[in-house]
Amino acid sequence: MKTRPLTPRRYVLALAGWVVLWLAVSATAVALGAENIWAWDSWEKTRDVLNLRLYTVLTAGVVGAALALAGLAFQALLRNPLAEPYILGVSGGAGLGVILSSLYLTAIAAPVFGFLGALVTVAVVYAVAQRRGRLEPYTLLLTGVIINAFYGAAIMLITALVSPERRGEIAYWMMGTISTFDPRWSLVAVVGGLALAAAVLFAFLAKGFNLVAVGEDTAGALGVPVDRLRLVTFVTASLVTGASVALAGPIGFVGLICPHLLRMVLGPDHRRLVPAAACFGASLLVAADLVTRLLEGISGVAPPVGVLTAMTGGPFFIYLLRTRWRRKSEIR
Amino acid sequence: MKHTILYLVLASALAAGLVGGCRESSAPEKDDQFEPKGMRILSLTPNVTEILFALGLGNSIVGRSNYCEFPDEAKTIPAVGDTINLNLERIISLEPTVAFIVTKRTDVVKTLDGLGIRTVALESDTMTELLETIETIGHETGRTAPAQTLIQDIRHDLDKVRRLVKDRPRPKVLFTFPMAIGSTNMMVAGRGTFVDELLSVAGAENAFPDAADWPTITPQRVVELAPDVVIVNAVGNDAAPDRLEAIRRAWTNLPSVPAVANSRVYILEDAFLTIPGPAVGLAARRLAQVIHKRGAGQPSPIPERDRP
Repeated sequence: MKTRPLTPRRYVLALAGWVVLWLAVSATAVALGAENIWAWDSWEKTRDVLNLRLYTVLTAGVVGAALALAGLAFQALLRNPLAEPYILGVSGGAGLGVILSSLYLTAIAAPVFGFLGALVTVAVVYAVAQRRGRLEPYTLLLTGVIINAFYGAAIMLITALVSPERRGEIAYWMMGTISTFDPRWSLVAVVGGLALAAAVLFAFLAKGFNLVAVGEDTAGALGVPVDRLRLVTFVTASLVTGASVALAGPIGFVGLICPHLLRMVLGPDHRRLVPAAACFGASLLVAADLVTRLLEGISGVAPPVGVLTAMTGGPFFIYLLRTRWRRKSEIR
Repeated sequence: MKHTILYLVLASALAAGLVGGCRESSAPEKDDQFEPKGMRILSLTPNVTEILFALGLGNSIVGRSNYCEFPDEAKTIPAVGDTINLNLERIISLEPTVAFIVTKRTDVVKTLDGLGIRTVALESDTMTELLETIETIGHETGRTAPAQTLIQDIRHDLDKVRRLVKDRPRPKVLFTFPMAIGSTNMMVAGRGTFVDELLSVAGAENAFPDAADWPTITPQRVVELAPDVVIVNAVGNDAAPDRLEAIRRAWTNLPSVPAVANSRVYILEDAFLTIPGPAVGLAARRLAQVIHKRGAGQPSPIPERDRP
């Protein structure tokens, strides 16, 4: 596909288009659900249902946006197509925080401890991976993988030792699920604010992403402060990831697949990709959550949304990889 | 403590009755033996342990599962893991002769059989299966008469609860297990489960209409189901201290649900409600008490009776 030069006018139009997609998907997801709302239903019931739907739709939106943005940034700066928001162990840290808090401290404020766990993890990963203030992508990747494995083992140990009731709860939480019983609007606002801040920041850094993707030496030679770019990007991406895990559990695959899908369609220019990732990630997760609720209406049981995104996103991704976009654009 | 005492009373009553029986009949039956000679029992499911104690076989149990914590005496018996992960070395060293386990997994049965332990696989998903299980255990341990008595007691208990609630309206009741971690969706008792049967005995209609085991549903579905009464069984005390508060708070977010509007969300911590064992009569009674409560301050029409 021939990409036309990106003028401010086109940028705004594209951004508006993506936002409209998000809003349209969200509106559909508020209107539909496990059961229909009828005109003769009582106002109280309608209000409760709409409240719950609005909450899930907003949560799915901010979490999807946060994950897609984080995935895009990690893939760009680590120059690794397998990079995803959880690659630096942030999900494990947040998970451990939520689980430990729910078991021993407080169930009500567990997400706060989840976020704290993510913060501690970010600090540990950077302390380990940095050398004289510089972050080497390979060291960072390896540190993340090891930290992830360690957290995974710790969570499994806890899972093995607790009562069967808690074991089921931990397993369910680890699958990633949005429909919360106890709406936490303030937390959604925090995650939403962080995601928005990340989107704006990444939009400004997009040119830097493009140059780093070509080569770090080139980027450095062209005046991009590569080290600072890395640090700011990784910390921001880790923060939004940690917040989203604290809110909805580790929802897999969205952060990995959204950036790739968009690159196949839009090309490698991060100035286009950043707003697209935010809105498309949001739309995708809202749609996936809607599907789980519709499935609940049909079968009586709601599958966790994280499972659904991975199960449907995987085959679709392979299909795109093998057929339509194969020659048109390189996968990076 | 209450449990211990009641079980002791129960056990001694049984013993007395049996001894008395022995004296009267000229030819004592084999199953009148209080401790079957040489029988070393491995009990791998909580309800089986309860049944064995009720049959007066508590002293013959040499090993139990990690989750067999009732009656209190059971806690002193060595634990050997659970159905998914059995400590085979400990099992061998305990030298059991017979194992009782509620499972559909043939590999577990085969493994235990392979160790020279006579393994009896049982089922107790429904009331009928529970009574059959008691009968089988009685037969296998040579205590058929106490087993019959226990079965009759359970039938009697359940009938009593049925009679108490006979003329009362049958509210729609949702029986749930909460999800504390991340307080997400909840598990509810589907049609055809053991708890579903108990609800029906206790004079209620299950608010969850589908035949499903223990499905996980979203709050949205709860709004649609509009139960008159919600029973949250918050069992398992290895959770944060504010857990019950978290659950209570979460329910207030659904004011359109009749149970919430009328303050009829009951958060219980009664593990025995979902254990298909000798206490099912009491479980039904407890449910009936909660379900047919008249309102704050007014006494429940179902008389109180403590759990053993």
